[in-house]
Amino acid sequence: MNLVMGDIHCYGQCLRSWTPLVALFVVLSIALIAVSLMLPNPRKRLRIFLFAQSSGILAIALTYYVMECSEMLTLYLYSAYLLISTLMIFGVLRYYDRILIRRLGAKPAGSILNWTQEFVDMLTSAKLYYFDSAIPRAFASGRSIFISIGLLEMLDDEELKAVLAHEAWHIRHNSEMPFMKQLALMAFSSSSDPELESMADRFAAEIAGSEALLSARDKVDKLFI
Amino acid sequence: MVKLDQINISNDGLTKFFSPIEAAILRALWADGEMTTSELTGKTNIPLTSVAGTLDRLVKAGYTTRRTEKVNGRVRFMYEPVFSEEEAANEITTKILDSLVETFGPLAVENFSKYSDKK
Repeated sequence: MNLVMGDIHCYGQCLRSWTPLVALFVVLSIALIAVSLMLPNPRKRLRIFLFAQSSGILAIALTYYVMECSEMLTLYLYSAYLLISTLMIFGVLRYYDRILIRRLGAKPAGSILNWTQEFVDMLTSAKLYYFDSAIPRAFASGRSIFISIGLLEMLDDEELKAVLAHEAWHIRHNSEMPFMKQLALMAFSSSSDPELESMADRFAAEIAGSEALLSARDKVDKLFI
Repeated sequence: MVKLDQINISNDGLTKFFSPIEAAILRALWADGEMTTSELTGKTNIPLTSVAGTLDRLVKAGYTTRRTEKVNGRVRFMYEPVFSEEEAANEITTKILDSLVETFGPLAVENFSKYSDKK
């Protein structure tokens, strides 16, 4: 502990009057990342995230240029930056559904339609949520499936089963999907992989019957991915 | 209350203040009170795919409220207008008069009195 404090003191000396600025950039970067996760608007989120990245890089660059003695601090900061970024990317992939639940105000679907959660339980281990929107939509993230009330209004039970089976397939195969592909799908959520979709559809047809799947697709095509 | 961000004087009726779909939904709700989504699409004759996003927007903007109902194992929304037609008309005219007076001052007031004399 003493050693670490000594190190920090030494870095403070070496950075001279620049210390507060470096510290400010580091704190700002972490705070902005936290803020960007909370924002509902994707464009704003991206912008804030870019600011966070820039201020992290500024902290590293500044340290590199003004450091008078050891270059170790630059290396430490850079390693910390890499570590935090990597953890964040993995963490967001795994826990993005938590963020979505809060953002959508989603509630367990079992509480309004008991059979839906039981049906999902038979296919995979995932929690089913519904959210308040008239636009019929369904999607899977992490270990959660989300459906809008608009979708529940529109589909009959057989069609809903087809959609749930489709989403359950995604949950089952999420972990097999290449990491970069998952990231790409998440960042540009409108684009989805046609090959994966047709595999999920085949599974859904097996479970709920192709007739139910087709009529669900007919009603709300492109709205469940 | 009513949020007016855009006014199109050249449009007809309510579409001066609302989009055509918003106006159709509000008219239907004012005429018949509470209704479900399918009743709304039936009354307005607009397909659900076009009406759904507008309904979300109207709820968010506070023009309508909705509650979730469960009937015979089916889940559905029940919509209700927040303001009556009179309340909305009152709110809209007040807002527009306020903004005219704010911009043109005494001239606007003078024109209003001329207008009521003419009537």
